[in-house]
Amino acid sequence: MERELKYVGKRAVRIDGLEKITGAAKYTDDLDFGPSMLYVAVLESPYAHAIIKNIDTTEAEKMPGVRAVLSGKDFPEKFGLYLKDNSIFPADRVRYIGQQVAAVVAETPAQAEAAVKKIKVDYEPLPVLQNPLDAIKPDAPLIHPDLGKYEVVPWLYPQPGTNIAHVRKIRKGDVDKAFKEAEYVLEDWYHVPHVVHAPIETHISVALYSYDGRLTLWNSTQSPHTQRNIIAHSLKIPHKNVRVIASYVGGGFGGKAGISMEVIAAVAAMKVPGHPVKLRWTRKQEFQNSSQRQELYAHIKMGVNKEGKIIALKHELFWDVGASAEYGSNVVNATGFSATGPYYIPNVYIDSFAIYTNRPPCGAYRGFGYSEFHFGLESHIDRMAKIIGMDPVEFRRKNAIQRGQPVAYGVEMNPTGILECIDKVAEKIEWGKENKSPDPTKVRAKGFAAVWKAPAMPPNESSAAFLKFSEDGSINLLVSGMELGQGFLTAMAKIAAEELSLPLEKIRVELPDTDRNPYEWQTVASHVTWSCGNAVRRAAIDARNQILDTVSRAYHIDKANLYLEDGKVKCYTDPEFELPFEKFVIDGIEMPDGTYRGGPIMGHGMFMPEFTSAKVNPETGLGGHPNVHYTTGAGAVEIEIDKETGRIRVLKMAEAFDAGKAINPDLVEGQIVGGFVQGLGTALWEEVKFDENGRILNPNFTDYKIPTALDVPRDMNPIIVEVAQPDGPFGARGIAEHTMIPVMPAVANAVENALGIRIKDVPITPEKILNALREKGQENGN
Amino acid sequence: MNDFDYAKPVTLSEAISTYKKYGDKARLLLGGTDLVVMLDDGVIQPDIVIDLKGIDELKKLEFDGEFLHIGSRVTFNELIDSEVVKEKFPVLWEASKTVASTGVRNRATLVGNICSAVPSADSAPALLVCNAAVVIATDSGDKEVPITEFFVGPRRTILKPGEIVKEVKIRASNKKFGGSYIKLGRYDGEDLAQVGVATVVNEDREYAIAFCAVAPKPVRAKEAEEFLKGKDLTDEVLEEAAKLAVKAISPISDIRASKEYRLYVSGVLVKRSLKTSLARMNGNGPKYGERLV
Amino acid sequence: MKKEINFTLNGNPVKIEVMPNEKLLDVLRDRLGVKSPKHGCGRGECGACSVLLNGKSIRSCITLAIEVDGQEITTLEGLEKNGMTELQKSFLQHNSFQCGFCAPGMTITATELLNKNPHPDEEEVREAIAGNLCRCTGYQNIIDAILDVSKKE
Repeated sequence: MERELKYVGKRAVRIDGLEKITGAAKYTDDLDFGPSMLYVAVLESPYAHAIIKNIDTTEAEKMPGVRAVLSGKDFPEKFGLYLKDNSIFPADRVRYIGQQVAAVVAETPAQAEAAVKKIKVDYEPLPVLQNPLDAIKPDAPLIHPDLGKYEVVPWLYPQPGTNIAHVRKIRKGDVDKAFKEAEYVLEDWYHVPHVVHAPIETHISVALYSYDGRLTLWNSTQSPHTQRNIIAHSLKIPHKNVRVIASYVGGGFGGKAGISMEVIAAVAAMKVPGHPVKLRWTRKQEFQNSSQRQELYAHIKMGVNKEGKIIALKHELFWDVGASAEYGSNVVNATGFSATGPYYIPNVYIDSFAIYTNRPPCGAYRGFGYSEFHFGLESHIDRMAKIIGMDPVEFRRKNAIQRGQPVAYGVEMNPTGILECIDKVAEKIEWGKENKSPDPTKVRAKGFAAVWKAPAMPPNESSAAFLKFSEDGSINLLVSGMELGQGFLTAMAKIAAEELSLPLEKIRVELPDTDRNPYEWQTVASHVTWSCGNAVRRAAIDARNQILDTVSRAYHIDKANLYLEDGKVKCYTDPEFELPFEKFVIDGIEMPDGTYRGGPIMGHGMFMPEFTSAKVNPETGLGGHPNVHYTTGAGAVEIEIDKETGRIRVLKMAEAFDAGKAINPDLVEGQIVGGFVQGLGTALWEEVKFDENGRILNPNFTDYKIPTALDVPRDMNPIIVEVAQPDGPFGARGIAEHTMIPVMPAVANAVENALGIRIKDVPITPEKILNALREKGQENGN
Repeated sequence: MNDFDYAKPVTLSEAISTYKKYGDKARLLLGGTDLVVMLDDGVIQPDIVIDLKGIDELKKLEFDGEFLHIGSRVTFNELIDSEVVKEKFPVLWEASKTVASTGVRNRATLVGNICSAVPSADSAPALLVCNAAVVIATDSGDKEVPITEFFVGPRRTILKPGEIVKEVKIRASNKKFGGSYIKLGRYDGEDLAQVGVATVVNEDREYAIAFCAVAPKPVRAKEAEEFLKGKDLTDEVLEEAAKLAVKAISPISDIRASKEYRLYVSGVLVKRSLKTSLARMNGNGPKYGERLV
Repeated sequence: MKKEINFTLNGNPVKIEVMPNEKLLDVLRDRLGVKSPKHGCGRGECGACSVLLNGKSIRSCITLAIEVDGQEITTLEGLEKNGMTELQKSFLQHNSFQCGFCAPGMTITATELLNKNPHPDEEEVREAIAGNLCRCTGYQNIIDAILDVSKKE
């Protein structure tokens, strides 16, 4: 029976809103630890690549206030999420500027900083590699000579003796044959530079180690349990003794996924038992030494037949993952499986290379590589549509993948609302309708893009939930997903509310503590609404069953005749029957003989996608089921370009995503608008720039420009499409990362539609526009 | 930040004598929006910071019928909020609105802006086209220097230890005029200028043109001004004027823009600014403060 | 060379000894326990540390604590002394914030705007908050909430 939903899908004030608006929300730096707190400062490598010949800490140790000095001599352990190629402190060589070489723990931050300056390190500089296309050459110097010795998950394939940390290949059909048969073939290169997450809260960790071997960390993190696991594993501490307590996170975007500087706080604490130690990144350190988005050089060759069907795609992706691929290798892997974009293509050849360079380690970034490859792919789609003389929206519709069609690795596509997304965006942006600027120096045009993305996860990722009733019939719902701003807590509360028919105000769900809260893999991959949502739903159903069971036994009513409504148990066959939760959820139900039935109601649920498998043929990518499902969507912009200065303004945007079921529709819209604007930054302004030595030239907001309230479209149109995901809670699937993905290609496509120039390298700066216009003028003989 | 002493004198003479005593080991503090960042980075490590915010006479912002006096403590937001500045010195008003963001403009002062002397100082082109003068207090009395002589190079002015800028003085024009300041940044939010250009035109067809961010210091484009004198702004005249104007600049490539882009776009913007200034004089231009890029 | 300063913090007198090189943000957070202004960039570029100095928004990360001797400082804690303001209620109803880290600074700046200009238009709102960076929201729900308040009064 289809029930009408009371909470799921309804608009609501987010449950963390009040705390955040009143300033009561505690972020890690807002916690007080008392006067025994010590502070950590880090010595950073001044070289992008060098052998460490000697580290002398004797002078630093004598400095006032210093309690401990740490380096690779004390903690040479390797760590990493998928490939253990990262060092807590490098013992032998540094691989990027800003890498931590040593650290000081002192009584004040100033004392720690002063002592760090007294550490002496002898370096022997090595050649610096900054371009992945150079680093992949056979004669390139090796950044990780020990690559073959690192611990790695079975589904990544490091290539010892090279700078290739992983390569994912897809070989489906016969592309060479298909290119010969194709009526139209187009090939080209595209480039996307490094960008940073730039959360307004930088990374921070406070750690406390006690003499009995207990390590507690208060972190700004997307991954409390994964951090616990990596720390316990790398430092050989029993998991039960490691505790991660998560506060609110002041922006994550993938940058606080996995682990980075938190390991430094952990080992620093181990040197000074009994004292909490704090390590907070400065804005500059946030740029240099958290993680960045991979740089991508992509080569695309596409073949289309007479009917306008894409019959072949060769997509080669050369990713600069920086000095460590511990997390970024999975970006490379995930995009390797999915670089067809949301299209059905019978013949596919993909090579996706994770290439080491001497730039900061790269990792997860909202979109997980999909933004980067969609830039080239969706630019290419528009260009191909022009070549074959088809409207680019129509070309996308014609080739869009449908439910049941095989994706590149052979698995059938899940239900998708991609056509509805394309149509609704086209309608909202008024595709095909011309809009002239009143200013003769300016020209207006529209650009379109369609996208998809799957959560990139190990096949055995999982979520768990636990909910317990209290005497008044309210519940505490315990989960370990993180509220990053996306509305996770509100979504989980609504799912529990719906299953238990319990008003939202009776549900409390908060941020996790790994000691108390059940397991969650990580809050990444836009998967928690789906994965943890399923666990919460099962926990609520478990509790509901316990409730019905108790009432059934006490009142001798068939369970099938009982139902829950507004915090009460009711009966279909007896309209008079009504038992509020608070009457029995702890104390049980008294029987005529004075005995009781029931006891405290506690539901638990867990979820693991048992149908996924990473076991594929490494040479073809076929044979497994690496992804759970894809979320699809589309986006479009209308831009205005000043032909004289090259300046671009985006006037209007529309984006639609198939959320399956929007648990929080207003927050889904907020994700679409916010993700669009983050994407806009990468389309027009954002780029980490390096000098020839590998030093970042713009580690600040003076010269790394993220959008302000003046730089965003005045007309923003988020659209929700709902084609249910059969295994999602109430049909839901994730959308939060996806909202960034269409922006770069949509803007590039709009630029071509405005001026007839194709920019293949983001950000699309005024200077690139003017240069391209000049080249076009020269070609035309002007 | 290094350890330093802090003094907050209440008179200019007290400030000058402390400044003289410490010489180049002293730094003057007004809004601090530049200075505290430099202290924090360790770029400067003074023995003493002399806060001028205790000196009442530096708060002056008044128009005496002939001159506008902008005391050292006057912030950009105070200039923006001033009716007389908006009415009689609209180019300066327009330029002030392009400085950083409101939370910075509540502290940052015009005098601090010119004393920092970064090549991209937004207030400088406006002061240059208005022929402003800088009044400098010294232990041997005040001296007045035209703004054209004030800047020496990037982050360098003619000021010596012991000399404190008291105010900036601008004579009001008694002719009908129009002006504009166009700032090209990477985006509409807070940014440093890639190119800044101010122009003024008056009823006698006299022109003034000045740039920031495209030379080691803010500059006037005298040759172009001479060429334009008495001429109407036809397309041909504008082209020639733009060509001459960019001869006055010598931009460099940096993280914000290339030399080539700056050169090219300076020509574009000087034409746009001149046309806007003329239209404003004639009462048919965009309102002051409206975006021109 | 510690110096004693006296200032008004959220309506209450404060007397504290500071070093001349201590920043106002650090003194507020670490020594006076006022946690709503946040560390974001340390260079006055993100606005997360905004507080009101004599009613005007400033960046407490580039203000020396010693400079506020004799002045009046108001933080978010001070604004809501008598309960949530209309602006805060509007932010709540519009689900204006996501991660929430920029919220205190944004509220300070928007409060200053509405005090000065109770009925701003949309562009005036954008201009006023342009110095407060938010990485999550795209600003739309923040702007809508501010405009809503300006229409009510």
